[in-house]
Amino acid sequence: MSTLELVTDDTIYELSASIDGERVLVAADDLARATGWVLKLEGLCRDDVCVPVADRAALVASDGGIDLEAFAHALRLPFASEPGDDKQPTVAVLGTPAEVRSAEMASLDAPPFTLPDLDGNFVSLADFKGRKKLLLAWASW
Amino acid sequence: MHEELAPAGLTIIAVALDESADSAREWVDAADPRPTYPVLLDREFVVAERYGIINVPSTVWIDEHDRIVRPPDITPGDDTFKEFTKIDSSIHHDALRRWVDHDELAFDADGARARQLAPSPDEQQGRVERRLAAHLLRAARSEAAERHFDRAAALAPMDWTIRRGSMPLRGVDPFGNAFFDFYQEWEAAGRPAYGVPSSSGE
Repeated sequence: MSTLELVTDDTIYELSASIDGERVLVAADDLARATGWVLKLEGLCRDDVCVPVADRAALVASDGGIDLEAFAHALRLPFASEPGDDKQPTVAVLGTPAEVRSAEMASLDAPPFTLPDLDGNFVSLADFKGRKKLLLAWASW
Repeated sequence: MHEELAPAGLTIIAVALDESADSAREWVDAADPRPTYPVLLDREFVVAERYGIINVPSTVWIDEHDRIVRPPDITPGDDTFKEFTKIDSSIHHDALRRWVDHDELAFDADGARARQLAPSPDEQQGRVERRLAAHLLRAARSEAAERHFDRAAALAPMDWTIRRGSMPLRGVDPFGNAFFDFYQEWEAAGRPAYGVPSSSGE
């Protein structure tokens, strides 16, 4: 078993993975905890949504492990990864599909967030409820 | 702007798209007057992604009920770079005063939607490649990071947070030749997604 750093929109998970050639295989339970997606007979399910899986053999290895790239493909999630070696973990990033982001934007509901200030104190959009807010994105570059 | 409009009910929330608090702090310390509003760090660019922000400085107006009434727009704080931005900062400032003081908006919800920049699948893929590259770099895996930065740039060539925002991480001067090359490429593409030109009166 080797280490997998799985980066999602919210968190970084450190999971065990088995590497089979190019495939990165993760225990179904671990992946469910990290992403909320559970493999069932109907397909990959989260809350009351199930996405059918066309190629189950590509998704589930003989030992029951889930192929991470096939998982991203089945859910149409943007996915990028870099294999590890003896010293370095495999790093993989799961993103959010364009159509999900587009639908969120069209709702015009301000996405909630919590971020650290420059001293490490966490501040949330919700802290300013009832006020008008100007979100100002800037950078040093 | 914050001193003027805070008593009328406006809070500015600044979000720095930077790798570390230190790189952001340098600019905050140099600002005159110093910001009295929160300055937050969005190291993973996830808040930027959720709001559809691909360049800076961008502003989003969010009302009392956490509804977006004005999607991201390029809004320089002053006219220092007007020659490049072609944006008159006073137009945004006046519009902001009218909203804060009189609830006056230049467009309704459908108008706001029409001004949003929905991402493409390639651009979303570019964002995960950038995020991966930044993670690899933090683990000193710079060769692998470079490959993923390159992929991100190829997938989202007009996203400034990827093209210019990656420069300091890659050891490239974001105010140097590499930036001017990118700037020319972007200008030749018709200055895509750069807010509303000042001539529009909004």
